[in-house]
Amino acid sequence: MTLLDLQGVAKIYKIGGQEIRALDGIDLQIGEGEFVAIIGPSGSGKSTLMHLIGCLDTPDEGSIIVCGNDISSASSNGLARVRNREIGFVFQSFNLLPRFDVVDNIALPMAYAGVGARERRERAEALARKVGLEERLANRPSQLSGGQCQRVAIARALANDPKILLGDEPTGNLDSKTGDAILAMFRELHAAGKTVVIVTHDPEIAAVCDRVIEIKDGRIRRDYLSPESVR
Amino acid sequence: MSFFLAVEISLREIFAHKFRSFLSMLGIVLGVSSLVATMGLTAGIEKGTKAILQQIGGLERVQVRPKAVETEEVDFWMISPGRTLTDAKAIRESVPSVTHISPELRNWTPVTAGGEEKGYNVNGVFPDYSFINSHSLAAGRFISDLDIANANRVVVIGNQIAETLFPSASPESILGKTVLLQRIPYEVVGVFSLYEREQDKVRRERGVKSARPARAGKNRWDPFRQKNESVLTPFSTMFYDFKSGANSQHTQETVPLEQLAFRVGDLDFFRESIDQVRAVLDVTHRGVDDFDFDTREDMFSQMESSMRATRISGGLIAGISLLVGGIGITNIMLASISQRVREIGIRRAIGARASDIFVQILIESVAIALIGGALGVCAGIFLMQVLIWVAPGENMPVLTMQSVALSVAFAFLAGVFSGIYPAFKAAALDPITALRYE
Ligand SMILES: Nc1ncnc2c1ncn2[C@@H]1O[C@H](COP(=O)(O)OP(=O)(O)O)[C@@H](O)[C@H]1O
Ligand SMILES: [Mg+2]
Repeated sequence: MTLLDLQGVAKIYKIGGQEIRALDGIDLQIGEGEFVAIIGPSGSGKSTLMHLIGCLDTPDEGSIIVCGNDISSASSNGLARVRNREIGFVFQSFNLLPRFDVVDNIALPMAYAGVGARERRERAEALARKVGLEERLANRPSQLSGGQCQRVAIARALANDPKILLGDEPTGNLDSKTGDAILAMFRELHAAGKTVVIVTHDPEIAAVCDRVIEIKDGRIRRDYLSPESVR
Repeated sequence: MSFFLAVEISLREIFAHKFRSFLSMLGIVLGVSSLVATMGLTAGIEKGTKAILQQIGGLERVQVRPKAVETEEVDFWMISPGRTLTDAKAIRESVPSVTHISPELRNWTPVTAGGEEKGYNVNGVFPDYSFINSHSLAAGRFISDLDIANANRVVVIGNQIAETLFPSASPESILGKTVLLQRIPYEVVGVFSLYEREQDKVRRERGVKSARPARAGKNRWDPFRQKNESVLTPFSTMFYDFKSGANSQHTQETVPLEQLAFRVGDLDFFRESIDQVRAVLDVTHRGVDDFDFDTREDMFSQMESSMRATRISGGLIAGISLLVGGIGITNIMLASISQRVREIGIRRAIGARASDIFVQILIESVAIALIGGALGVCAGIFLMQVLIWVAPGENMPVLTMQSVALSVAFAFLAGVFSGIYPAFKAAALDPITALRYE
């Protein structure tokens, strides 16, 4: 089943009268259970694409359907709902709330989903345990290492049990060893049934994914199944 | 997002920046405290004025006063007997809503108890006099019906007179003593309590020597001076001893009164009662319009208008402070939002709706205003305590529940209004722009 369906998508930025087509005619379908890597040089439009898929932004041309929701015509509240329930977004720079501890950070999406305080806490603690942070429940982001912060971010992305997990260079701010551990976590989650899309420019990471989409200048250059997965 | 969570988040934000939050509250604190204090002050003035009014007879006391007749009536004028005891008896019989009535004779009389003779206004009165003028006895009894019937030579004196005639004697020890009114011996049967204003009382109790208003209080208005200088005899005794000689035709019933006061039982039927009394007096005065009524309503409306002025000026100060306070909150909230753009972006990214952000910021500004309001109420109460301590008196400020409720309501409104614009700005932030903000 197709979870993500992009048809002729374009995103245009205007800077000083000059048009930059950050994305230009993207056609893309991603089915349930896929593990996709998006690669490409810096400035090629990877983040822009992820933001569109993640409902943080809307396209200027074309249509996007996420889990059956037509994003191009959705209201602001509709987009918020999709972000909250259907998608877990993991950022390169973690984007945790600095004054909230681990449990509260993980529980935040549940608060916006209307989950009660008690259940929020229980589920947040369970998720913290799942990403191996049971010892750091009351710590704030500033008291954690980068790898630990990214684990909190992953746990938060899982808070409302979304179908899709997006990662925009989730290992970009980490050393290779910690990065590997985070990547292993994504693979685990994929094995547990999540649809995963991550942006990377590390070919090694791309190599472990099922499918690789190569972007350049806002267009899809190549879209192929990873040799390893074929094997 | 649930309301309680939003409140919790707001409080956390406020306490994370204690000093900044406190600064933004200051205007509200000032506004609310001045509101509480002025309302306490006006309530105190109202209470004090009412108390004094009560002690000099209350709103229910009405005086019948003589009035110059119109020129076209001048020919009839002689046929009216003026205010007499007959008026009093007629009113008592015909107007049931008048509960007490006090006709008075007055005579400027030299008074002594053996020492120097001094002139005072001596009044010849009926037993109702005591109630109508809110008297209370320190010792002895008031003039009775028997005293009236027998024209007993008894006298009831005010505390100030007692002090003058019998220096530093206790009221009890004065009972039975003889006082000479124009050399006629009268027996003292009662002494009134000392009437004084709250501030004089406090001053006296604090031991300021000159407080005893012997002569010191002369240049100041003392509403109780007259009461403290009472010398009262039975109506009949006064008539026989001082009033019958001048005009042998006069009887007790026809002698002109110096004063005629009555008390209306139910203030709800005040106007009706006065009208009934007027009808009765029209008959006894044979249709001559030579009397009028003095009520305390003038005094009351004067009090009302002075209180309104206080209230308006206090309200103005409070209003301006609340406005300035509200602008202060708006300012701080705008600053705080521009520091929190990224946080707002993160919240939007994980599913917060624009309205969630709006409510969060609004609750935060309302919470600041309400905390400021609570502090303001405390400060207002403290201010009132200081006033009470500095200037004790009848008009001491009183704290009312309404003033607290009203002040808090105003603080709440200030919070809402000052939060709307910042909340709107925060909610209008585009998720991706906010998230990218450095
Ligand atoms: N908010 C923006 N305003 C203007 N140009 C932008 C904005 N965001 C991205 N771009 C431009 O769009 C292109 C794609 O950027 P991006 O998606 O961030 O690339 P990547 O993530 O692949 O490095 C770049 O040329 C970038 O300069
Ligand atoms: Mg990027």
